[in-house]
Amino acid sequence: MSFWRQAGEFARRDLIAERRANEIVAIVVPFGAVALMTLPLALGIDSAVIARVGPAMFWVVTLLFAMQIALRHSAGDAPTHRRMISLLGVDPLARLAGRTVASSILLVAFMTVMFPLMVLFYNPELPPLWPLALIPAVLAAIGLAEIGTLAAEVTAGLRARSTLAPLLVAPLAIPLLIGGSQAMESLSRGGGILPWVLLVTATDLALAVTAAVIARPLEEASR
Amino acid sequence: MNRIRVLMTLAGLALAVGLFFALRAPIDAFQGAYSRIMHVHVPTAWLAFLAFGVTAVGSIGWRLRKTRRWDRLAAASAELGVLFTALALITGSLWGGGVWGTYWDWGDARMATTALMFFVYVGYLALRGASPDRETAAARSSILGIVAVVQVPLVYFSVNLFRSLHQGQSIRPDGATMPTEMLVAMLVNVAAFTVIYIALLIVRMSVLKLEEQTAPVPTAAGAAVQPPQLGKALDD
Repeated sequence: MSFWRQAGEFARRDLIAERRANEIVAIVVPFGAVALMTLPLALGIDSAVIARVGPAMFWVVTLLFAMQIALRHSAGDAPTHRRMISLLGVDPLARLAGRTVASSILLVAFMTVMFPLMVLFYNPELPPLWPLALIPAVLAAIGLAEIGTLAAEVTAGLRARSTLAPLLVAPLAIPLLIGGSQAMESLSRGGGILPWVLLVTATDLALAVTAAVIARPLEEASR
Repeated sequence: MNRIRVLMTLAGLALAVGLFFALRAPIDAFQGAYSRIMHVHVPTAWLAFLAFGVTAVGSIGWRLRKTRRWDRLAAASAELGVLFTALALITGSLWGGGVWGTYWDWGDARMATTALMFFVYVGYLALRGASPDRETAAARSSILGIVAVVQVPLVYFSVNLFRSLHQGQSIRPDGATMPTEMLVAMLVNVAAFTVIYIALLIVRMSVLKLEEQTAPVPTAAGAAVQPPQLGKALDD
């Protein structure tokens, strides 16, 4: 089986497991919506400030909940399962790639629900060309899925995993956060999105190269 | 024990010499006495970079040799790196409060990237602490130790790459941007702090080794089950 077939199978299996467990739709999305609601409630009724911070809050929620998606239980392999996959000679990078693809799809779906909710709750002034900001947004989602997958692998089987992985990811994901959020800011000022697209793409590529280099040691370490 | 005493004495002497030069150095005409903070800030920032570099070397060494010594080097150096990064952030913030009029500026790329580097290595130490045994801790943290060192050049060159309040490099190929007396005092302090780092590193590695030697060895099936003594059985 080729590398891409293996990766595709892992992604398909992850998405099937997620459909059965329904973890994202039933738990993560409602929790994300509640998180989006907390800031306006805490700020009070200053609608100008709320409108100003809306897009930033969307990105903060996306960053934090990307970890929930990458670490979801339905994506967790039991140690015996991991050993079996390893003994079968499956390429560890294909497993990481498959998991990243599945997490990217779920994260884009999460963002698709959160963005209209953010517009509803915060009423920000969107620039006329705001759909262009979807390009860096999707690229940032891929990057967050990549980094989340790596953190999930590094912390696999640890008791403190759910808190440790976000601690590892949040500082490293800042270029994605900046690229994703500043694209909308730039459009609001009449600027372009190319520098931000390049920043996020470069981060995605750096993460992909890192994953390719550390996939095998990571598999050995997380056994 | 004698070796530790000698090392700590050396570190104390280095600190005293560094302090002497820092207090004797002329102060900057614009910054006033705040410029003396630089004699601590610059060495601690340099040691943060050095410590994380040594962590990466230790991590690579562990991956190649799988011996405990390399892992102890990586762990001890990361702990000291976090300590010196925290000191660099605190002293930089105090200096900024006096000279820039603000303790923290989000527009300063060096500040922001240093803070991010600090949190990545806090995560590194948390990963080590959360691992159930030494081998797991070494195997997983060595990967992070190698990957995370990429930040060091990013932090160092951030003043050139991004618009920043922070001043650029003071020592350049075309010469230094400060008077010789100040430069000498700073270099003496860099050397003194490096001696302190080496002393603390060796002491911490010794403590980690002692911890490993005194830690109870886990048994696979409880203390009641003894491994078979085949050699003895054959002798009988």
